[in-house]
Amino acid sequence: MRTTRSFADVSYYAVIGAIGGLAIAILVVPVLVVLAISLTSAASLKFPPTGLSFRWYEALFDPVQSGHIHSAALNSLQVAGSAAGLAMLIGTLAALWLDRHRGAAGRALDTAFMSPLVLPMLSFGLAALIIVTMLRQRPSLTWLTAGHLVVVIPFVIRTVSASLSQLDRALIDSSASLGASSFYTFRRVVLPVIAPGMAAGAFLAFVASMDNVPISLFLSNARTDMLPIRLWGMMESSLDVRVAAASGVLIVVTSVLLVVMNRLVGLNRRV
Amino acid sequence: MNAHSGLAAQTSGPPDARPTPAVPTEPARRGATLDVERVSHSYGGFRALDDVSLSVKAGEVVALLGPSGCGKTTLLRVIAGFLNHTEGNVRVDGAPVDRVPAGRRGIGIVFQNYALFPHMSVSQNVGYGLAARGRSRRQIKDSVARFLEVVQMSAFARRRPRELSGGQQQRVALARALAIEPGILLLDEPFAALDKNLRLDMQIELKRLQRDLGLTAILVTHDQEEAMSVADRVAVMNKGRIEQLGTPVEVYDRPETLFVNSFIGSSNLLAGTVAATGPTGTTVDLDAGGRLTVAGAGGPAGSRVLVSVRPEQLHIAHAPGEGLFPVTCRLELPVGGNSVLDLQTRDGADVKLVRLRAGAPPLGNGQHYCGLTPDARPAIFPAPAG
Repeated sequence: MRTTRSFADVSYYAVIGAIGGLAIAILVVPVLVVLAISLTSAASLKFPPTGLSFRWYEALFDPVQSGHIHSAALNSLQVAGSAAGLAMLIGTLAALWLDRHRGAAGRALDTAFMSPLVLPMLSFGLAALIIVTMLRQRPSLTWLTAGHLVVVIPFVIRTVSASLSQLDRALIDSSASLGASSFYTFRRVVLPVIAPGMAAGAFLAFVASMDNVPISLFLSNARTDMLPIRLWGMMESSLDVRVAAASGVLIVVTSVLLVVMNRLVGLNRRV
Repeated sequence: MNAHSGLAAQTSGPPDARPTPAVPTEPARRGATLDVERVSHSYGGFRALDDVSLSVKAGEVVALLGPSGCGKTTLLRVIAGFLNHTEGNVRVDGAPVDRVPAGRRGIGIVFQNYALFPHMSVSQNVGYGLAARGRSRRQIKDSVARFLEVVQMSAFARRRPRELSGGQQQRVALARALAIEPGILLLDEPFAALDKNLRLDMQIELKRLQRDLGLTAILVTHDQEEAMSVADRVAVMNKGRIEQLGTPVEVYDRPETLFVNSFIGSSNLLAGTVAATGPTGTTVDLDAGGRLTVAGAGGPAGSRVLVSVRPEQLHIAHAPGEGLFPVTCRLELPVGGNSVLDLQTRDGADVKLVRLRAGAPPLGNGQHYCGLTPDARPAIFPAPAG
C-alpha cells in the first residue's frame, strides 16, 4: 500500500524525531560514559577509557581500601531504608486523610505536604541544621532520617493518592453493607487496592533519599558520612576512578530495581 | 422512548434456555417488611427527597422508577443506610433502623456496576460478608458453595471478577448479597450494564430467585420496561417525590399525573377545552376537532385540558363521524408486526398511532380520521399553565 505524505508531515516527524532523539541522548549518554569510564584499566577518569578491566570494581569492594565508602554506603542505605519505610506509613495515612477531606483545609495541607518537591532543598537543609542545633542535638543518623523523611514523603502521598482515586467508592459501601467494620474494610478492600501505590511510593522515596545531597550536606558529619557526600569528596580530592565504579554499581542496581518494581506494581502507570 | 407499547416488547426475545436453578429449601427464609415514613433528605439546599412514604410488604418487589436526579438513588441509599436522612423514619420488620449501620440492617445490595472486589476470587467475594461477621471457615465454605449453586456459578469459584462477563459478574454480586441471608434485597440499576437479550434472561432469573427465596426487593431503575416486568408495584418518582405508586398495569393504564403519563410508555397529548362535566366523565372539545367523553375530572366547563391517549388505543377511519378528528399521515414505519403511523392533526399536533400491520393497507396521503378504540382508557389532566 502506498501512502502519500505531504512535506508538512515529513518535516513534522523529522523535527519531533530529532528533538526526541536528542532528549534521549542527553539522558542516556552520560550514564553510558560513566559506565565506560568505570571499566578503565588506567588510573584516571579519562574518556574514552584506555583499556578494559574490573580493577576499580575490585578496589571498590575491597574492605581494606574502601572501608570508608562502605560505611558511607551503609549509612545511606540505613537512612534511605528508614526514611522510605516511615514515609510509606506517614504518607499513606496523609493520603487517606486528604482523600476524605477535599475542602479548603485538605487542599492547603496537600500543598504543604507537597512543598518539599518545589522549595529549594538547600534552604530546607539549612533550616533543618539550625533546628537541630537549636535543640542542642548533634547531627546523627536519626536527624538525617528525619530530614530525608520530610523531602521524600511527597512521593508516597502522590502515588497513594493516585491509587485511592482509582478506588471505587461502591467497594467500600459494598463492604459496609456486607457487615464489615471500617477496619476490616480497610484491611481487606482498601489496603490491597492501594498497596501497589504504597510500594511504588516507597521505592521512589528510597531512591530519592539515596540520591539526596542537599539535606545530607547540612546534617551529616564525619561520623555520619553519606554515600553521595563521600563520593563528591573523593572526586574533589583525588579524581578517584572508584567514584565511577560506585556510580556504575548504583546505576545497575537502580535499573534492576526499576524493572522489578515496574513488573510488580506498574511503576510508570502510577507516577 | 419506544413508539410501540412498552409491555409488548417483553414477550419477545429469546426464551430463557438455562435450567431452573436448584434453590435449597432450607432454611425457609421470609422477606422483611420495609416502611419508609415521611423521609426527607437535603444536600445543601437541594431537596433530594421530599416527604417520601412507602410501605413494602414481605416478599414484594417494588421498583423505584424515574429519570436521573428524581431521588430514587438517594432513597435507595437512605434505605441501605449509606445516607443519614434529615427527616422521617425507615423501619425494617417494624423496627426503626435509622441509627443502625448499613451492615446490620439485614439488607443485601447489588450495586450498579456490581462493585465486586477485584483482588478477590469469586468464592472470596461471595464469602466476604460471612467472613466479616467472623463466621467459621466451615460455615463460610458451605454457604459459598450453596449460593454459587443458586446463581449457577459454581464452575467459576476460583476466577477473578475481571475474568467474568457482565452477566456472570452480576450473578456473583447477587450471590454475595444473598450469602448474608438478608430479608430485603436492594438492586441499583442491576441490568443497565447488560445487553438486551441477557437482560431479559437475568430479569427472569432474578424474579424466580426472589420468589423462591421469598425476598423483599427494591429495584432502582430508569428503565420502565424493566420496572414493569420485574416489579409487583412501581413507584414513579419525580423531583424527590413519589408521584404514583401502583401495580405496573395501574401506572400504565391510569396515570395519576401528567408526569407519570408522559414518563411511562408513550402517549399522545391532545389539547382541548372542557365542554361539559357529567356523571360519566368529562366531555372535551379537542382543538384537533371532534368531541370525546373521558372518565375523570379535568376541571369546570371552559377550562383547558390535555387528553392522553396511548398510540395503540387509536384507530383510523376513512369517513368523518362521532368522536373522530381529521388527520393527515406523514409517515408509516413497520416495527415488528405493527406499524407506527406518524399523524398530524389540523392544529399541527403530532399524533402517533400503532396498529397491526397485517390486513391494514398502507395509508395514502390525504384526509383520514382518527378516533379512540372501544377499549381505550384515555386520561385527562388540567393543562399546565403557560
